[in-house]
Amino acid sequence: MLETLAQAVVNGLLIGGIYALVSIGVTLIFGVVKIVNFAQGEFVMIGMYISFFLATRFGIDPLLSLFISMPVLFVVGVLLQHFLIRRVLALGDMPQIFLTFALSLLLVNVALLLFTADYRTVETSYSETAIHLGGIYVPVAKLIAFVVAMALSGTLWVFLHSTDLGKAMRAAAQNRDVAMLMGINPDRVFCVAVGVALALAGAAGSLLMPFYPAYPMVGQVFVLMAFVAVVLGTLGNVTGALIASLMMGVAESLGIQFVGADSGLIVVFLMLLLTLALRPSGLFGGWTR
Amino acid sequence: MKAKLPRPRWLWLGAPAAIVLVLPLVASSAFAIDIFVRVLLFAFIGVAWNLMGGYAKQLSLGHAAYFGLGAYTSTILLIRFGVSPWIGMLAGGVVAMLASLPIGALCFRLRGPYFAIATIATAQVLMLLFLKFRDFAWGAEGTTMPNLGNAPLMMQFDAKAAYYYIALALLAIGLVITYRIERSWMGYYLVAVGEDEDAAEAIGVDTLRIKRHIYMISAFLTALAGTFYVQYIYFIDPNTAFSFNVSVEAALVSIVGGIGTLWGPVVGTVLLEATSALLQSWLGSGHGGVQLTVYALILIAVILWRPSGLVGVLTDAYACVVQARPAKKEALLDG
Repeated sequence: MLETLAQAVVNGLLIGGIYALVSIGVTLIFGVVKIVNFAQGEFVMIGMYISFFLATRFGIDPLLSLFISMPVLFVVGVLLQHFLIRRVLALGDMPQIFLTFALSLLLVNVALLLFTADYRTVETSYSETAIHLGGIYVPVAKLIAFVVAMALSGTLWVFLHSTDLGKAMRAAAQNRDVAMLMGINPDRVFCVAVGVALALAGAAGSLLMPFYPAYPMVGQVFVLMAFVAVVLGTLGNVTGALIASLMMGVAESLGIQFVGADSGLIVVFLMLLLTLALRPSGLFGGWTR
Repeated sequence: MKAKLPRPRWLWLGAPAAIVLVLPLVASSAFAIDIFVRVLLFAFIGVAWNLMGGYAKQLSLGHAAYFGLGAYTSTILLIRFGVSPWIGMLAGGVVAMLASLPIGALCFRLRGPYFAIATIATAQVLMLLFLKFRDFAWGAEGTTMPNLGNAPLMMQFDAKAAYYYIALALLAIGLVITYRIERSWMGYYLVAVGEDEDAAEAIGVDTLRIKRHIYMISAFLTALAGTFYVQYIYFIDPNTAFSFNVSVEAALVSIVGGIGTLWGPVVGTVLLEATSALLQSWLGSGHGGVQLTVYALILIAVILWRPSGLVGVLTDAYACVVQARPAKKEALLDG
């Protein structure tokens, strides 16, 4: 019993690391640009397909393709901010919500046209291997994904706290007008924020590829999780999103283990609705300092 | 000037109404009637969504919850208790109305995008629950409607045209309700909430109450569409009844047509469904993704260039024509 519990917690933490990469991206864009990116999951999907094609065409290991998917998606993010998001920033809720929503719809369906709905998987030398710790089974691919995800989250934290650009981003998130008065160029900061968020999504895609199939709708799983994590972890709070993602990975895993295989999502959604009912501002304070 | 307007206005309304009424008699192909039924049904769902999403700007992406509740209530009543779907339809509406109370209580705490996300979550939870109710509601397999032949009292007809007229009646009801609300105190309150919730609250609008009321009406109407749809396709399962596509399309047709306008959802549905039918006859049905790709492109174009939707374009064009005419006459007189 204790072993099953520990195993479920470990499984949850491992996948929670991936959720964290996606939700940190969502919360970063929300914190800085004040837009909810409904298409964040689709950029995970694009990251997966990039890794898939690099692996099948050129034999590049999915984990190495991280170094390609991240810069590519960073550029996509800068372009997305510059050419699309920027144009709706002054408009109301409707254009802001439905622009990224339409983008999500577009990317899913273009992927469906280009790649069909087939599941694509990549076999790596470590896809099937696992290490045993006590009675607990830890798949190597998931462990690597988790470690890299945590390393990237840590790097982002350092970036936000010790570089000028990172500090400018946090300043713009706290108070856009004052930040502009202090000489921060909001356009540049916004472009970098969206670029970084998409690069994280791309990283999540590459990290998933050794143990998770790519298909056009794959992003929806992760974006729903990310939304819940972002609400739970207080909107715009990067550390909050990270902790909430890990919690949700564990909650989902416990739901699957103890309620039923199809109950993981129910548990997560109930967590969201419960949070909204009891503490709508999330579990953590404002933007982390 | 004002006295002259009524005549063209009656023509504007009367001619399309006559065409709409005789359409199924002229168009005999089942494919065409099927498209018309879809247009009317989605226009109706769009009208229901627009009451809340358009006027009060509460952008729900979870109206599938009420569509599904309506569909399941009438189906369970029909199959388990032999109750006519006509009664089941109203019962479904009431169930949806009641369900909108707790859902609204939760979701109205959030604004803007997070309201949208919370509504997605509620629709998903309902779908997941109905996937689990295997004994009571047939689980993931779903069930087919018992075929009773031509039984108008049980909402089953041999003639496809009958479904067309039911959908038309639903749409007419939705439009009349919208028209009445638009011109009542409630309509003004809704627009006030949509424009600026805090300001509305400050001048004494009970925003929570007004949102609750419009959500109930919107949910009721959406549930009617759910019952009609499963009776029309003779099949129900959680993925059909709580389909995310229903939520999306409800919002999409309203936004493309013109959010917060009486005719917006109708104009939007006609455009989107016509595009989809054209694409289907042009490319065949084997190309998954084409239709929604085009929808997404239309939506992006509308958001970037005309956030007021097609109705805005049409009224501008109309204003142009009306204003251009006297100007032309003067020019002629001068010449």
